[in-house]
Amino acid sequence: MYELFFREFNKKIALTPEEQDLIKKYLTPKKLRKKQYLLQEGDVCKFVAFVEKGALRQYSLDESGNERIIQFALEGWTISDLYSFLTGETATYHIDALEDSELVLISKSAHEELLQKVAKYETYTRLKITGAYIAMQKRLTSIISSSLEERYSSFITLYPDIVQRVPQHMIASYMGLQPETLSRIRRRISSR
Amino acid sequence: MKTKQTIAVIGAAGSMGSAISRSLSKGNYRLLLYANQQEKTRTLIGQIKAVQPSADVEAMDCKVQASWEADIIILAVPFEAEKEVAEKIREMANQKIVISISNPLNSSYDGLVTRPDTSAAEELQKLLPNSKVIKAFNTSFAANFSTPVIDGKQADAFIAGNDDEALQTVAELVAVAGFNPVVAGDLSASRILENMQLLLIRLGMKYNYNWLAGWKILHN
Repeated sequence: MYELFFREFNKKIALTPEEQDLIKKYLTPKKLRKKQYLLQEGDVCKFVAFVEKGALRQYSLDESGNERIIQFALEGWTISDLYSFLTGETATYHIDALEDSELVLISKSAHEELLQKVAKYETYTRLKITGAYIAMQKRLTSIISSSLEERYSSFITLYPDIVQRVPQHMIASYMGLQPETLSRIRRRISSR
Repeated sequence: MKTKQTIAVIGAAGSMGSAISRSLSKGNYRLLLYANQQEKTRTLIGQIKAVQPSADVEAMDCKVQASWEADIIILAVPFEAEKEVAEKIREMANQKIVISISNPLNSSYDGLVTRPDTSAAEELQKLLPNSKVIKAFNTSFAANFSTPVIDGKQADAFIAGNDDEALQTVAELVAVAGFNPVVAGDLSASRILENMQLLLIRLGMKYNYNWLAGWKILHN
């Protein structure tokens, strides 16, 4: 049930079977069906979720109720309202399932205990957060300095699975564009 | 909490299981009902929807699947059946709240089958070492769920467990069911709670309370 979770973990830092068994005790298996919420804005986010199977998105709603997607998560990715998880303040994002999904949750209390008990879990967490920080910086740079065509081209190169599995209007929202603008960009790219 | 919690009720067709399911269908919960007799579960869902058309309730044909989807698992099965169910759902119940409602009564209702130094809840915790077992609803009769106010007083419902956050979550659930939640202590307090219900059952038989009886702690 935790195959992908441990495969990804072991890619970052190799675990002994004993360490793996110890970590397993702290994991929560959770199945979520399409359109169900994992988290709603206003609640405290009490877990990080690793996607074994399926797809989720994280978004906020603006004053007119438009969705602003900040992240997608497919197999092998982790998703959480990290600010809320780490500070205990209420979440500013919604997280819901775009497909039927199988998740591995790590609750706040399990996370804290694992940090104390398994040194490699701390390393894993550091590598995950460093990776997320770098990805965020890249996304920021791309928003500031690349043209829309360049941004979309690099998105489809980096995340071909998302393009296949996620509706276009959600990708537009992720890129901060109106769906019509994204359609125009796609036409321009395909006519080249 | 805004995010809907999913609750699996295993043994939903029994008198306690169906009473709990009915009362929790009023709350912001998604209920997954499992029972060996699936026909009874479907009838129950029909009855719940007739009263509460917006109720988010669904019949499940597998207790393992129900536990996998659940955030909270309620074992509404007799004490004798808990071991077998626990073994089946153990992996899916990892780190989750599992509510033990059972009273380990003997066949003549005049004693408990558990040793004095343990309880049904503690035995369940041994079977599910990585779950957060909470004792709840064992001091309430099934009839109390439709009438949680007896003689003008809201019945107390005692809760015991070792995890503070889980106790808080279950206290909210008990309040949704219409009772006044009272945290009795850690999981070993279940020994007292299970004996309290033994006493209430015995008094009920002796004085013919007709199952409409409950506990209320009087205090200043």
